[in-house]
Amino acid sequence: MGIKKILLLCCMMIFSQNLLANEQIKLQEHFLSKIDKIVSIVKDKNLSATKRNAEIVTLLTPTFDFELMAKLSLGKKWKQVPKKDRQKFIDLYVKRMENSYSSKLDSYSNETVRIKEIKQPKKNRIAIVTDLVTQDKELEIIYKFHKPKRPKKDKDTWLIYDVEILGISILKADKAQFREFLKTKTIDDLMDVLVKS
Amino acid sequence: MLKYLYLFFLSFLLLSFSGCSLKSVEAPQEVVTTQESSPSDEEDETDDFLEEFADEEDEEEVYDPLNGYNRVMTNFNDKLFEYLLIPVAKGYKLVLHQEVRRSIENFFQNLYYPSRLVNNLLQGKFVYASEETGRFLINSTVGILGLFDPAKSQLNLKAHPEDLGQTLGFYGVGSGPHIVWPFLGPSNLRDSLALYPDALLNPIDYAPRSWYTLTDTFEEFLALKSLERVNKTSFDIHEYETIKKDAIDLYPYLRDLYEQYRDRQIQE
Repeated sequence: MGIKKILLLCCMMIFSQNLLANEQIKLQEHFLSKIDKIVSIVKDKNLSATKRNAEIVTLLTPTFDFELMAKLSLGKKWKQVPKKDRQKFIDLYVKRMENSYSSKLDSYSNETVRIKEIKQPKKNRIAIVTDLVTQDKELEIIYKFHKPKRPKKDKDTWLIYDVEILGISILKADKAQFREFLKTKTIDDLMDVLVKS
Repeated sequence: MLKYLYLFFLSFLLLSFSGCSLKSVEAPQEVVTTQESSPSDEEDETDDFLEEFADEEDEEEVYDPLNGYNRVMTNFNDKLFEYLLIPVAKGYKLVLHQEVRRSIENFFQNLYYPSRLVNNLLQGKFVYASEETGRFLINSTVGILGLFDPAKSQLNLKAHPEDLGQTLGFYGVGSGPHIVWPFLGPSNLRDSLALYPDALLNPIDYAPRSWYTLTDTFEEFLALKSLERVNKTSFDIHEYETIKKDAIDLYPYLRDLYEQYRDRQIQE
């Protein structure tokens, strides 16, 4: 192999590294801008709680892959869900996530978000490790993104499919409770409970 | 000499390729199973996500022989929280200023230094152990018996909580069956067995010891432990309620949160 070829190879490797880094920086900026927007909405005292939550939901919906989360939360059981019920389950799951997120915002008080680290375990996966800094404590929250092969309509390029709070993955926790629930009960029962919650 | 080198290389090659052959045997198996279970195009797409996110998939069933008892105890604790601990903590929070409550928390944490030190040492975390020692010395003196935390606020020395359950986990001891204790909440066999040795290092105890303990009788012990618990709850009264809201089935949900949290603490 000639020196030129080796040089070319090196260039290509550096270039591809740059591409990855670029992607990470882009996502980081996008993520931070979303957080800034959320903070400004939450701090706006003129908004009523319901209006505030609605605005945040519209802001965050393009960033989360709720559909994938709903599917992953059932894991292999997803195949057993009758096709006519699939969309219903996804809708219920999304509603539940929105409610859960909104209720957590109620306890917000001047925390700041600090990015600690960005990991890219695979080409189409990025994890943003953040600290939610309160007066005297730090709460580690990891946002896990994936990049779907085909971009989804009305969605960002990188989508959150799991959030880990202090090492607790909300996806895994849901999976654990759904699995246990479905041992004795049916998908229909699960959807009934989701409707009520 | 050359012969040995050659042999060495040969064995090295063999070893490295045996790894490859193992991998190549495993990989097609996965492909086969997914192909078997995906007859139609629609199904293909569903399988897609399962395959893609196989790393998130941990189908390992939790070993849970005490399921029935644990469910009953989870309900008991739930009622206890709702009707006793949370109302008491609310009243307590009204009476005492946050700074006072913070100091009480600091005081208790400072007392648990011996067990943190020993467990950091047992895990070979010598830097953490020395930081813990520094914290104890500074907070016990300048911080007036541990009521204040100048080690963190002035010197940025952070606490490194470690307990025997984590130490055992660090050396590969599995968690064993999940156990829910009355009052104390979720635990597992490993962490439960670790409570007693940790308590030996603890100055809040009622059993006769040859060294000084803060409490002599069970009543005193219970009073101090309750104070610690109420004080701790008062910082985040709605925490439990917020967690509970996300539960479809409370017991397995709390069980999973506990085990995930402990696994993470052990890995740290």
